[in-house]
Amino acid sequence: MSSSFNRRTFLRGMLSGTAVCVGLPVLDRFLNGNGSAFADGSKLPVRFGTYFWGLGLTDTPTGGTRWVPSKTGPGYEIMPELESLKAVKDKVSVFSGFRAIGDGRPNLVHWSGHASILSGIAPAASGRFDGPSFDTRIADAIGTSTRFKVLDVDASMSRQPISYSTRTGGAFATPETTPLALYTRLFGAGFQDPNSDDWKPDPSIMLRQSVLSAVKEQRQALMSGAGKADQIKLDQYFTSLRDMENQLAVQLQKPDKCDSCVVPTAPKETPRSASVDVVRANTRMMARLLAMGLACNQTRVFNFVHTGGTSETYLAGQNKIYHQITHDEPTDAKLGYQPETSKLAGLVMEALGDFLIELEAIKEGEGTVLDNSLIMAFSDTGYAKIHSIENIPMFLAGRAGGRHKAGQHIATKGESVTRVSLTAMQLVGAPVGEFGSGTMKTARPLTEVIA
Amino acid sequence: MNRRFVATSVIAITIAFASTAVPQQLSKPAKWTKTYVIEWNEPAMYYGAKTGVIDPGTDCPKGTNPEIDWIQVLVDAGYTLEEAKWLRNPANPTRSPVHGQNQMAFRGKDRANVYVNPTSTPDTGLVGVSGTTGEGVNLDGDEKTGFTSPTGEKGIDNNFYKCLGCWKTYRGPRRLSSGALQFNDSMRNGAWTTVIVVSGEGVDPMNDNHVKIGFYVSNDKMVKDGNGNIATDYTFRIAPHAKYEGILAARTSNGRVISTAPGDITLRDPGYTRDLELLRARVDLQMKPDGSLTGYVGGYRPWEPVYKGWVNARGPVIESLTWVQLPAVYYALRRSADYSPTGANGEKTHISFALRIDALPAFVVTPDASKEVASVETYKASAPKETTRGAAGSFYVIDGIVPDRTGKFQAGPNAVILPPSTSSTDKRQ
Amino acid sequence: MSAASSAQTSKPAPGASTQITETTPIKVAVRRITESQYRHTIADLFGSQIKINARFEPEKREERLLAIGSSELSLTSSGFEQYFALASSISDQVLGEKQRAASVPCKPDDPNQANDACARQFIETHGERLFRRPLTETETLTRIKTASAGAKQSGDFYAGLKLALTSLLVAPEFLFRVETAEPDPANRWQYRLDGYTKASRVSFLLWDSAPDQELLAAARSGDIHTAAGLKQQLTRLTSSPRFEQGVRAFFTDMFQLDGFENLVKDPAIYPKFNQSVSDSAKEQILKTAIDLLVNQKRDYRDLFTSNETFLNRPLASVYKVPFTSSAEWTRYTFPQSSERSGILTQIAFLSLFSHPGTSSPTKRGIKLYEIFTCEMTPDPPPDVDFSKVQDSSKGTVRGRLLDHMKNTGCAGCHRRTDPPGLALEHFDGLGQLRTMENGARIDVTAELNGVKIDGAQGLGKFLHDDPRVCACLARNVYTYGVGRKTDAKDEDYLAGQIKAFANSGYRLPDLMVQIASSPQFFKVEIPGGVQRASTPRTPAR
Repeated sequence: MSSSFNRRTFLRGMLSGTAVCVGLPVLDRFLNGNGSAFADGSKLPVRFGTYFWGLGLTDTPTGGTRWVPSKTGPGYEIMPELESLKAVKDKVSVFSGFRAIGDGRPNLVHWSGHASILSGIAPAASGRFDGPSFDTRIADAIGTSTRFKVLDVDASMSRQPISYSTRTGGAFATPETTPLALYTRLFGAGFQDPNSDDWKPDPSIMLRQSVLSAVKEQRQALMSGAGKADQIKLDQYFTSLRDMENQLAVQLQKPDKCDSCVVPTAPKETPRSASVDVVRANTRMMARLLAMGLACNQTRVFNFVHTGGTSETYLAGQNKIYHQITHDEPTDAKLGYQPETSKLAGLVMEALGDFLIELEAIKEGEGTVLDNSLIMAFSDTGYAKIHSIENIPMFLAGRAGGRHKAGQHIATKGESVTRVSLTAMQLVGAPVGEFGSGTMKTARPLTEVIA
Repeated sequence: MNRRFVATSVIAITIAFASTAVPQQLSKPAKWTKTYVIEWNEPAMYYGAKTGVIDPGTDCPKGTNPEIDWIQVLVDAGYTLEEAKWLRNPANPTRSPVHGQNQMAFRGKDRANVYVNPTSTPDTGLVGVSGTTGEGVNLDGDEKTGFTSPTGEKGIDNNFYKCLGCWKTYRGPRRLSSGALQFNDSMRNGAWTTVIVVSGEGVDPMNDNHVKIGFYVSNDKMVKDGNGNIATDYTFRIAPHAKYEGILAARTSNGRVISTAPGDITLRDPGYTRDLELLRARVDLQMKPDGSLTGYVGGYRPWEPVYKGWVNARGPVIESLTWVQLPAVYYALRRSADYSPTGANGEKTHISFALRIDALPAFVVTPDASKEVASVETYKASAPKETTRGAAGSFYVIDGIVPDRTGKFQAGPNAVILPPSTSSTDKRQ
Repeated sequence: MSAASSAQTSKPAPGASTQITETTPIKVAVRRITESQYRHTIADLFGSQIKINARFEPEKREERLLAIGSSELSLTSSGFEQYFALASSISDQVLGEKQRAASVPCKPDDPNQANDACARQFIETHGERLFRRPLTETETLTRIKTASAGAKQSGDFYAGLKLALTSLLVAPEFLFRVETAEPDPANRWQYRLDGYTKASRVSFLLWDSAPDQELLAAARSGDIHTAAGLKQQLTRLTSSPRFEQGVRAFFTDMFQLDGFENLVKDPAIYPKFNQSVSDSAKEQILKTAIDLLVNQKRDYRDLFTSNETFLNRPLASVYKVPFTSSAEWTRYTFPQSSERSGILTQIAFLSLFSHPGTSSPTKRGIKLYEIFTCEMTPDPPPDVDFSKVQDSSKGTVRGRLLDHMKNTGCAGCHRRTDPPGLALEHFDGLGQLRTMENGARIDVTAELNGVKIDGAQGLGKFLHDDPRVCACLARNVYTYGVGRKTDAKDEDYLAGQIKAFANSGYRLPDLMVQIASSPQFFKVEIPGGVQRASTPRTPAR
């Protein structure tokens, strides 16, 4: 690179007029051939998020399913309740047949399912997890170089703020529950505008660097007296160490001015209502704010709740809430499923579609924020009518920087949900070898979707 | 698969005499024993339609009882139309979002609580079964009373089915009624385990005139296999229980196990009532070639605890979710009760009932786990004293509702229904 | 026999210079520690309550053992990230408020400031155990510097210690066993393994963990170089309850039980299989081996014929026997009629070496030779036509395999591998007993080297009597301990060891002590391409 034109220089209008910012500006010409890494080899950061919605999707004991594609592997067909994912289908993998396994603990309705997915353990009591939720592990692993280790968001307009992120199992995180609150957290006081002039380096990174340099100092002593084969081995070790140092060094660089990080204007207060259309609009607004927060590298990990486990959302004008409809509505004999429930499930999934499209809308490198993210979307239950924790719908959306071989339908017959959780953790590079306890303990990720 | 016979050896045991109509316990081991674990149990409710779960059929010509118009019910109970609409609007605070609209309880005379005072409101007439086919057991020995079984046997006594069989929670094909799914799901996930021991003195288990069948509970949980079914051949230790045990005398004929004399037994009920006490109980079960056991155990069960069980599962929730008015259930059970334990002139406190059972081969061992059970005998004498405890996952229910201890608006006979202002209140703290 | 006289061989790599001087130590091997060795070391130092959850880099099986493969492995970038994060996590726990009193041997006057003296104590104490030798002054000073900078930066002494400990835990001297040879004081031109290397070899063989204080002391004092001193340590280690941990690690490697990590079965065909059964099967075979060979000190060959084992409730359901115990595990003796005798008839071996939906006599045969007689089987030829054997409705498994043996391209291997597998055909792909196939009783007779064997019991007896079996065990103990393959020069030594093994009644603890106390165990082999900065001297012959 010439001295007058280093990696930090930003050129306007590089990518069809759209600027790009990934904490540091990413110029295509300084990316590697396929825009998936910097030219010096360090990768674009991957984001991770959980997206939760309540009351599952339609899949009945009598055989009617409205979401499980019949085709497995790549190129699954879009099922009626997954219509909203059509636009980003190739970036979404579908996981069917996974269940939460209680090992004797009762199925605490609207709780055990997602508690198992997040903590790996079927909880003993409702309202608690018996272990930390795994997003905390990911945050510990990949979230330490951004301003927020993790952001929790609740768009559900519920009576109580909902978060399923916990380190202790007893206390859950406090989410932002309105667009204005989320805006304030992201872009209010404490926000370091990359387009401003007073930035300071993070001291903890420098300390981690000192750890590595202490090790490096012994290199010479270690190599001397070793045979050829052993020297090669040790060399590889030190190369790996240098890669780690590189990562830390990148994080110590001042973020340069960057147009893609556009500080939005503060949103207006919205009237509170739990009807389906209002919650959907709320979700879209908060998704847009969150996506910009990711693009401005304020956080790499988030938890998003669209509706809670006992979702009280309802169709405006109707007197029955979605939750009740799932229990009430009989299965239509000809169709094999509950039509009203299915319609609601489809509407709820619209919000997930909106969410992913907001991430897809921000360009980054040769792709989008969605390409550099992994979102695990899941519910609390499979067939909501009977509070079943079999076949809980789970999705992985986003390419995770290329690591996720997305667009596949992985079907199993009753394997533990922790396998999907473990896969998500490994796709974003969290140092986790096994997850879950009891029968849900697993050390086997779903390698089909791991590149 | 073949069930092994238990190798016998002489064991000297002193057995306490249980208060049932079973002949004197033998202290020596039986000639053969077959052991099982119940993997599904549900009230025997014959489904008379060919398709679906709530379709019209020979049992309920109009289909499962329809959803209730609660606004009308409240108006009939004396609330104004505006109040009724307000109470049923999901956008309004519902006293408890999880436990339902508590005010529903107060629709009796003078706003009495109908869950604890069902006769404070008139009988709306729960529609029951009008068909002639039913499943279960002939309890009174009279072929003229009761249903005809699907295989043509006459005299099946099952008034429980007769009066409640069109109620949504009970109606459906085998294993598909919502109630059965809920409770068996819970059982299969470890909430409780019931094991069965069948033993006899003859050479051929399939044809033996001196057979005993025992129902016991175990604290060992069932295990699901890779397909989500209950795995066979797990070992279960009998847990001596002061209440849940049942021993009946029977005979086998081509593998069909039929009671030779009635007995009084109590089983763990797959329902909110918990205790399934059956007077004059009888079995009619079939030992299948694949080693499983399936059929019925019938008897007269006390009806009022059934009603109370539903009430204590939160009245408003049960009524809304299962489309029923609980007082009507009370009235229906009361008028259909067909047995008095004190004699023909006594109050009919019990109603004929049958439980449909599917059981898989399993090993059953003695309470101390030292050996397989070698005969059907009673363990009640060594049972621990029963401690009162709530049902698993039970809620804090008072008089059929969960009081909202933090709420501003309390349900009750004198409750203010409509709030002072009509605008949507702030629901978030 | 003095342990100090170790043989020296100098093997210059072709084209590379071999310059050996008198004084500088040589690194004869660099072997990455395994996951279980890592975990055991951390538990020994800081307690078993330290949570270790990380993705360890995969291991590699070489010459039938992961222990040999570990000599070939290094760390990838993603592996380094994992170890780095794990080191930070462990340090956080060790220096956390509750734990630090136990982990830090001194208290600083001001916990908000750096304190080099206390930092030094901490670093030297734990560093010696982690590096498995005393730290050099340079190594110590770098960490003190890190601790001091960290303490100043964050205003917290313990934060500084965390960084120092992290840097010890990611250091190659911890993650790799750097085996070092020093000039032999008794023999000017020869080398011997240094005391700490010897201590490590002994400790990892017998306890699968880093040397403890006593063993390090024996190295420091030089006692370990004497026959008596070495014997004392070997006796101490094999008499300890921790010996079981080392034997478990050995058999986990030898029996290839790491296969359980990814074992899958078709739930439609083997619905009883699940994670619990998988874990239990692994535990069963290890418990059996430990009980028979360590606790009861019986003849190794009894493993193939003994009906005594251990069961838990899930295993009992797969074996279809009642579980008559209230404890989690119970002793169980299979009756003669059950056809179960010896470890070959346990679920572990039977399920590991079969397909997800069916048994595989060929696989079982191949693995039987590989694991128990140390004989490898070549891969099938690239142009083989599998279509003939896919359709399972054509007769029995036995029938199809016997067809192989008629085909000249296939017979060479299958004549050898299939008969032992066929003898085990009363056990399906999960290890469940099944005596009928397609309506006929399965024939489990087989012929091996002209000897007729009948069923699993016959096969167990065959292995019991076959001299290759004990020879293979001796070879495995040796290669596992030294971490490299054997070659022609080792055969005489091994023959001697096998004889001694026989004389001891084929007892495994005696075999391990015997091998570990033989000079060959500490033989120095100078690797190719060793370079020196200083002026070369004439290398010794």
